[in-house]
Amino acid sequence: MQLVHNLRFTPFTFCRRLSATPSLAARCCSSPPSPTIAAKPLFLRPPHHPSTLSDLRQWYSWAYLLSTSVGSSFLLSDGGPDSSLLLRELRWLLEDVLDTSSGIHPHLVTHPDDDSHRKVWLRAEIGDLYRLWRQRIEERKPFQYVVGCEHWRDLVLWVREGVLIPRPETEMIVDLARDAVGKNPFLRDGLWADLGTGSGAIAIGVSRLVLGDGGKVFATDLSPVALEVASYNVCRYGLEDAIELRKGSWFEPLRDVQGKLAGVVSNPPYIPTDDMLGLQAEVGRHEPGLALDGGVDGTDDLLHLCHGASSFLQPGGFFAFETNGEKHCQFLMEYLAREFKGSFRSVDVVSDFSGIPRFVIGFRC
Amino acid sequence: MSRGTSDRAWPGGIFSARTEMPFALSRQATLRTPSEQSPPTHHRTYNEESNPFTGSKDGRRLQIPEETMPISFLRRSLRKALSFLHWSPSRFPYSNRPGFPRQKDVFLTTGYRCSFHSGAQGGSFSENWRRLCSYSSRAAAEPSTSDGLTLEGIISNQWTILDEGESDWRSHVAAIAQSIGLIKRRLKWKEMLVRLNLLSAQLDRPDIWDDPMHAGKISREYGSLMAKMKEVVAWERQLLEHIDMIKLAREENDSELESESLKALLDMRRSSKDKELEALLSGQHDLCPCFIEVQAGAGGTESMDWASMVMQMYRMWAQRRGYGVTVVDEMPGEIAGIKRATIKVDGEYAFGYAKAEVGVHRLVRISPFDSNKRRHTSFAAVAVIPILGDGFSHVQINESDLRIERFRAGGAGGQHVNTTESAVRIIHIPTGITATCQNERSQHQNKASAMAVLQSRLDQLEMARQAQMNAQHTQSLTEISWGNQIRTYVLHPYRMVKDLRTNYEVSDPDSVLEGDLDGFILSYLSTSLDKDEEDK
Repeated sequence: MQLVHNLRFTPFTFCRRLSATPSLAARCCSSPPSPTIAAKPLFLRPPHHPSTLSDLRQWYSWAYLLSTSVGSSFLLSDGGPDSSLLLRELRWLLEDVLDTSSGIHPHLVTHPDDDSHRKVWLRAEIGDLYRLWRQRIEERKPFQYVVGCEHWRDLVLWVREGVLIPRPETEMIVDLARDAVGKNPFLRDGLWADLGTGSGAIAIGVSRLVLGDGGKVFATDLSPVALEVASYNVCRYGLEDAIELRKGSWFEPLRDVQGKLAGVVSNPPYIPTDDMLGLQAEVGRHEPGLALDGGVDGTDDLLHLCHGASSFLQPGGFFAFETNGEKHCQFLMEYLAREFKGSFRSVDVVSDFSGIPRFVIGFRC
Repeated sequence: MSRGTSDRAWPGGIFSARTEMPFALSRQATLRTPSEQSPPTHHRTYNEESNPFTGSKDGRRLQIPEETMPISFLRRSLRKALSFLHWSPSRFPYSNRPGFPRQKDVFLTTGYRCSFHSGAQGGSFSENWRRLCSYSSRAAAEPSTSDGLTLEGIISNQWTILDEGESDWRSHVAAIAQSIGLIKRRLKWKEMLVRLNLLSAQLDRPDIWDDPMHAGKISREYGSLMAKMKEVVAWERQLLEHIDMIKLAREENDSELESESLKALLDMRRSSKDKELEALLSGQHDLCPCFIEVQAGAGGTESMDWASMVMQMYRMWAQRRGYGVTVVDEMPGEIAGIKRATIKVDGEYAFGYAKAEVGVHRLVRISPFDSNKRRHTSFAAVAVIPILGDGFSHVQINESDLRIERFRAGGAGGQHVNTTESAVRIIHIPTGITATCQNERSQHQNKASAMAVLQSRLDQLEMARQAQMNAQHTQSLTEISWGNQIRTYVLHPYRMVKDLRTNYEVSDPDSVLEGDLDGFILSYLSTSLDKDEEDK
């Protein structure tokens, strides 16, 4: 662990971060990602697996019982999901796996009647469904990895092991960018950057909601897995022309546009290293440490981003970074005021919907 | 009138072989198709120039047949005219406009009187013309048959209404007239006419389009009210024309014509039932989709289970009607059932029907949650809120009046937590009204759904405020007092579902709980609307 952190960047220099090799991902997770990674989100796979309504019901009642047996044990141990949440996820899994074009709807599965011999078409084999739900409950595999997608804003994004699942809080970065562009319309057609893009969520959200035809987003990431996923998601929303993916650490692949960026947005790793061990099982065991671990006090990457923003943003350019909470926000506010006197204006802290100060935003002078 | 003889015997005795083609042509010429007719002003020209009584060329031709015209020919033309008329409302949109005298009525009445009655009644042409003029001026106000029988008149005659199978024209006419009367009551006819006048006055204002949103709203309402009014007026005219036809056929002893008209009346009688139903859903927001909310009453798991049964009943009812159903918000009970839930029902007239379900639903059964197998009574409250849609909302929500909270949030959040729970609660600070959505898969969509619920609740509040003295508005959950029971579902010791407002009852609770609610809904809608009118 210590070795890894010594190798991480230091402020003022552009240091290459450790590349996200599978070995690193495996090192960070107590159980390595399953080798049979689905190539696509479940709900997009072709419904080529025949089964019967009664078999599906049998699986459903098995999964239902397994979920209720959890009670609130996960919740009490590490803040994980309780039964009611798991049951809702089970219903969503059913929605994703079931082909409804033949007139079989999820409620037919959950509310049994007699036509149990009706044929149903599934997007995964019934045996896989047992395996998937066991992974969800026994291995605490995040639901989003189980179904291969995350619903984020109005998007449905492909996610898989090795890529951070975008969080609900992060949705607000897009709103913050929209508000900034609303007040400064010249930013609409500028160059933007989403650093550490992961699944590409912020880049796609900003590109679709905020930018005009002239605008463009550079989405960078160090992890090849993340770039593969982001590229799939960008294509799925037809944004190949509006989003350019670049491999590299933070600002490093963007040297050609230094000082020309109209906006910089990022959800960098911000969890203090010491907290990494006590994380909820879904996060700690399955999500990539590279996207979570923010160094000793969690601000390593945030500070780096602040330095980058001061040199890469054009005058009037906007930045928004997600942080770990109140302490980070306060620290960054003071840091920006102290280290970059006169470089930034309107620096502010914005809270998420839980009331936790979550984002630091501002403009380059 | 005996059938089968009428083809040969013409009691008028003026059957003649001298069929005059020029007359036929001129007749046809006056029966131009609607598209050739010019709009409203035309009737005047028609009356002055081509009316048979004014001495125009056509008229003169018509004067001659007063004595000599072959009646079979006249009869044929008349039938042609009448059959054409049944089409006219849809083909000639101006014809039903109030204030536009129906030239075809005038024409028909004229032709009819001229050839068959004027002699018998001993009136001269000028007398007939005066009668005609007075008729045409009355025509716009209240349609009537040639001998002045109006809808009111028919109803006040109190003809016996026999079974549909009986081919008694008076009975059909009386049944249809009653239907039209009922439809008018349901549509709140007089209020509707006043409203129409008001709207048309507003639409005539030169500055109306300064506010396109408002103008659109007004013109949409005008259009829909106008369409409703036209339909009823056309229906009424059609009835009166059939009466004329029957009378004519009887005088002429034309059994073919009579049976045709009788059949037409029967068709009308049958479809008038559908029209009565349609008229039940003529409220301003009836067409809208809606939210249905169910809340469990006191009584723990048993009543939470009952609430979920009620919710399931509405979901199945909505699916039967072909409506889309989405769960917006659901707060499950600890052991079973739901504490409260909101579903969105999408489809035409969803609110119109569902509004009949507002109130408290009571269940009596042996509780499966009671180990002693005792009989329990539980309650669930139901609220229904119309979703007015963009452009119809009464309330503009100010972003700064809102407080948005993550629902069931705890801990550090952000990257620390992986959860599919992204529910939000939106609080409208000035009114304290809240809305929650937790069933969408992203926070953004939970927020959007919760906003839609909030918008509808605020609209409903505003409507309630506007209609404070008017009992029309549906109540929200908080307003529904638990004493306001509308229906009882008894599963034990006997089996019955009974609506306490209408006394409508069904002995098969299972079918009702599986969504067979239309009987209850329609009986409530008709009694409430019809009662409303009587109260006035």
